[in-house]
Amino acid sequence: MQMMQGNIWISLNPLGFAQGMTLVLWFQIRPSYGRAIFAPGTSSEQPNSNSQFRGLSVILADDDHVNRTVTKKLLEKLGCEVTAVSSGFECLSALSSAENSFMLVVLDLQMPEMDGFEVATRIRKFRSCNWPLIIAVTASAEDNVWERCLQMGMNGVIRKPVLLQAMEDELRRVLQRAGEGL
Amino acid sequence: MDLLSQLRGQIADFSAFLYREGFVDDQFTQLQRLQDESSPGFVVEVVSLFFEDCEKLVNNMAKALEQQIVDFKQVDSHVHQLKGSSSSIGAARIQNVCIAFKTHCEGQNRDGCVRCLQQVNHECIQLKNNLQALFKLEQQIVAAGGSIPAMQ
Repeated sequence: MQMMQGNIWISLNPLGFAQGMTLVLWFQIRPSYGRAIFAPGTSSEQPNSNSQFRGLSVILADDDHVNRTVTKKLLEKLGCEVTAVSSGFECLSALSSAENSFMLVVLDLQMPEMDGFEVATRIRKFRSCNWPLIIAVTASAEDNVWERCLQMGMNGVIRKPVLLQAMEDELRRVLQRAGEGL
Repeated sequence: MDLLSQLRGQIADFSAFLYREGFVDDQFTQLQRLQDESSPGFVVEVVSLFFEDCEKLVNNMAKALEQQIVDFKQVDSHVHQLKGSSSSIGAARIQNVCIAFKTHCEGQNRDGCVRCLQQVNHECIQLKNNLQALFKLEQQIVAAGGSIPAMQ
């Protein structure tokens, strides 16, 4: 835990009884001197700070093979360790498996059989704390998608097609809020 | 002008053409940026996946549209999938046809759907040929000792 700049806190309620263990992971946002891979002759204005999210274990759930491959690569580019699954069912079983401890779920909302909303609802049901973090990915341009996601206990939303910068920004935002809101 | 400069000029022109004509968009640029030393074949891999999916989806849609009673919901879900994956690799033209295609599905317009399917098929073939040409140019550049420039 210490290696990851994390701390384990025991939160106390007003009467001083241990409320339960609250896992607090502080991600230090270091200046991005990460190994940016430049091919000679390219202009790369993107920050490519892949040291920022190093060690972040992510489950990516998307039923489309192409989208899954692209988004996985994108997250890996940001330094994440990604496990990609193709359905809500696989996602839930990976999460409930004891050895795995994922910090973040990136969830396609429009999957057949079990959509992202249902997956999120179930995740929040069997885990009483606000962990793992959930970021929804949606093609929908509707305004109330964000609200719906929040109501379901999700932490962030990204519109498709997923852009590297957008994912980076949303990841940072979600992690910061998770660090603050305790 | 040496070979490498010639090839670079060719690829720059060809890429500009692809973007100008809307065959690919910024999302394709991003795809190329995701490629790195650890995964030098990433773009080719994803593009191949896409065309495999494309073929399957087109076949499924063709079958569905041939039925006596067309299941438009089924066709629509295929179009939705194609729209999603084409948008994530930056296949702009295909994505646009899918948008039109969807309205025909919603309107349960078989003729409109068939026309769109033909268009999709046509665009897929065109894009496939174009990208193969692009990849070939890239291979030639690498063989001539250069490295692949990021497309703008």
